[in-house]
Amino acid sequence: MRFLPFVLRNLGRNKLRTALTGGAIGLAVLLVCFFLTMPGGIDALLARVTSNVRVCVHHKGGVVYQMPYAYVSRIRAIPGVVAANSQIWYGGAYEEAGHVTFPSFAIEPEHVAAVWPDYGIDPAALDRFRRFRDGAIVGRQTMQKYGWRIGQQVALTSTVWPVTLSFRIVGEIPNERAPHFWMQREYLAQALQAQGRALDIVGVVWVRVGDPTVVGAVMERAVAMFRNSPAETAAETEKSFFANFFGSLQAFVKIILVVTALVALCVLCIAANTASMAVRERSREIAVLRAIGFGRGLIFGTLVAESTILATVAGGTGALLTYAFSAMVRAVSGGWNRELGPLAGFLVTPDIVASGIGLAVVVGLVAGIAPAWGAARRPVAATLHEIF
Amino acid sequence: MGLPLSYSVRNVRARLRRTALMISVIALAVIATSVFLALIASLERTLVSTGSPRNLVVLRKGSDNDGSSMLPLEAYQAIRYLGGIARGADGQPLVSPEMVLQPSVQTTGGTRENVLVRGVEPVALAVHEQVRLVAGRMFRPSSGEVVLGRGTVGRYLGAELGAEIAFGRRRWHVVGVMEAGGSSFESEIWADAREVAADSTRPFPYSGIRLTVAPGADWDTLTRRIEDDPRFALEATRELDYYAEQAESAHTLYVLLVVLAIPIGIAAGFGASNTMFAAVQSRTVEIGTLRALGFPRATILRAFVLESVVLALVGFAIGAAGTLALTAAIAEVLGGIGFGAATFTTSIVRLEVSARELAAALLFAGTIGFLGGLLPAWRAAGLRPVEALRKA
Repeated sequence: MRFLPFVLRNLGRNKLRTALTGGAIGLAVLLVCFFLTMPGGIDALLARVTSNVRVCVHHKGGVVYQMPYAYVSRIRAIPGVVAANSQIWYGGAYEEAGHVTFPSFAIEPEHVAAVWPDYGIDPAALDRFRRFRDGAIVGRQTMQKYGWRIGQQVALTSTVWPVTLSFRIVGEIPNERAPHFWMQREYLAQALQAQGRALDIVGVVWVRVGDPTVVGAVMERAVAMFRNSPAETAAETEKSFFANFFGSLQAFVKIILVVTALVALCVLCIAANTASMAVRERSREIAVLRAIGFGRGLIFGTLVAESTILATVAGGTGALLTYAFSAMVRAVSGGWNRELGPLAGFLVTPDIVASGIGLAVVVGLVAGIAPAWGAARRPVAATLHEIF
Repeated sequence: MGLPLSYSVRNVRARLRRTALMISVIALAVIATSVFLALIASLERTLVSTGSPRNLVVLRKGSDNDGSSMLPLEAYQAIRYLGGIARGADGQPLVSPEMVLQPSVQTTGGTRENVLVRGVEPVALAVHEQVRLVAGRMFRPSSGEVVLGRGTVGRYLGAELGAEIAFGRRRWHVVGVMEAGGSSFESEIWADAREVAADSTRPFPYSGIRLTVAPGADWDTLTRRIEDDPRFALEATRELDYYAEQAESAHTLYVLLVVLAIPIGIAAGFGASNTMFAAVQSRTVEIGTLRALGFPRATILRAFVLESVVLALVGFAIGAAGTLALTAAIAEVLGGIGFGAATFTTSIVRLEVSARELAAALLFAGTIGFLGGLLPAWRAAGLRPVEALRKA
């Protein structure tokens, strides 16, 4: 600590070089942190939005295959099930957009509160959703995207059913990442009935189990019950459902991580370059310091400290700037990308900033050690001899 | 009076150990950006190369992909006999009714992916000119057989010629492998339309129609006749436009590329500046001598900028070699790279580096070298000969 002013003075000797190195390290750490938000996006989605006591029951062939509607009441009767809600894809295209820009489903209003208590939907809104046949509950993301207000009428043309229905928005899902549009199953059924079609199928059944310890048993039952029927089922927790849903992005995430590692290596090279230049230029004074009695350990320590302090301060600044940078990218990219899904959230977490700072500290240490080691071990006489 | 090019080149070589780290920085920046660029470009190439300039895609109005559309049988019958549609060798109209499904299929890696299964009739091969069988044979109707796109082979459990693959309600025999010029048809599985429709138990038999327009026929008239039929709300799009629209979502990935390239470029440029400043500092006397001998400032400036650019180009060469090696390794280890979570289907992209990506990387490295060398070279050129020589 006594030598801290000495180290800081040394950093201030070539201000331009310190600034350039600091800038380069800061930018590179910022990039590393930014790219870490992408794989982090999937984890965050899985951890925050999904629940372990919510189970998804769907056709064994995948969610695009349908099951008979009668399955819903049979699943509801399984011991341990608190509530179950059926979901069917409506594929609504909002007129203004012309095609499907958010997911829309027909569900059963009376079972929303019990299946998704964690969504925090206003009970008064759910009450309206039950009462009005044409009511709709919309996720805040979609509400904001189109500037919709509660009470507004919107018409959605289905891309799978031969209908265009008009809805009254009666409430919202208070989550900025929720894009869903929920309508009454009964409303869709009646519209189809008017054309002589019966709605007797269901795409996915969302089940909430009361006790986490019986989740496994409930899932087994929900599969065993329909074995050897024309529509066999598969059941998984909500978390596993979404993890699989985004599974195809895994390879992309791996490439992102490879690129991130390259950038981290870049930081190391930049820091090492500066550290070795500093040592080379100061070989004379290092020899003098040694000659007047300063120990090897001290020379080594102050040089490593110099490199570490520079990397840590610059890297730390870069890591903190990731917050502003990712907000900027979100603003430019619109925050939603069809190919990237949850990867494009770019939400910085304290963990990511911490790993960025950690990287900077390690880089500073590693970059400083080799040149400092060489400088400390160099025979004093040889250096002085070379110079004088 | 000019300094020979070899002055700048030799200076890089003379201090090779000192510049090695700087070259690595530029090489790493080149690898990081060009791997990423190659990834996006490969995705774009896959999507853009899909489709035929002679084809129309007919879907329900508002659907932006096959999978979210449904069509009744009557729509197919109505379209089949419209004028302006090309005819095959057998005299039948080249209209391919298709049933697209996205079942989840087990990958060999233990996860599941939604694969695009296209239920087709024999006419499909005539309509989709790009697609041809490279192994085995076409499936026979109603016998539970499928043909795999090349990209799916080995990616999914049982996706091998002669094996059985499980999706939907049953298992299917793999009887052939098809190729489609690297387009996204290679990520698909084709089966008999009727069997796929029966397996899915959807309320409608088809999801969409692909048709080939007769040479010389009026596209607009045909499109209007398809779209104006009041019985079915249909939308006809040129097949190329349809896939170009899918590729548009890849364009937003370029935002990410810019986000990567600018900071890493500036960081590498800072590093290059550092090295060049150090070079100018250690060669002050030499620069003073050159100036005293009568070399003008512009020559000194040019020599140092050139030195920095040469340094960057060496970095580029190493980086380009690294990129080729790394992408080959990634393609080997990961196989195809899957894209497309929200579209419910997986496009399998083969990571490939093209000359265009390398050219972009060359420009990138050159710019880093030029801008990074400019300031130090300016300082070198600004040295006053008398003061520079006094240091000696």
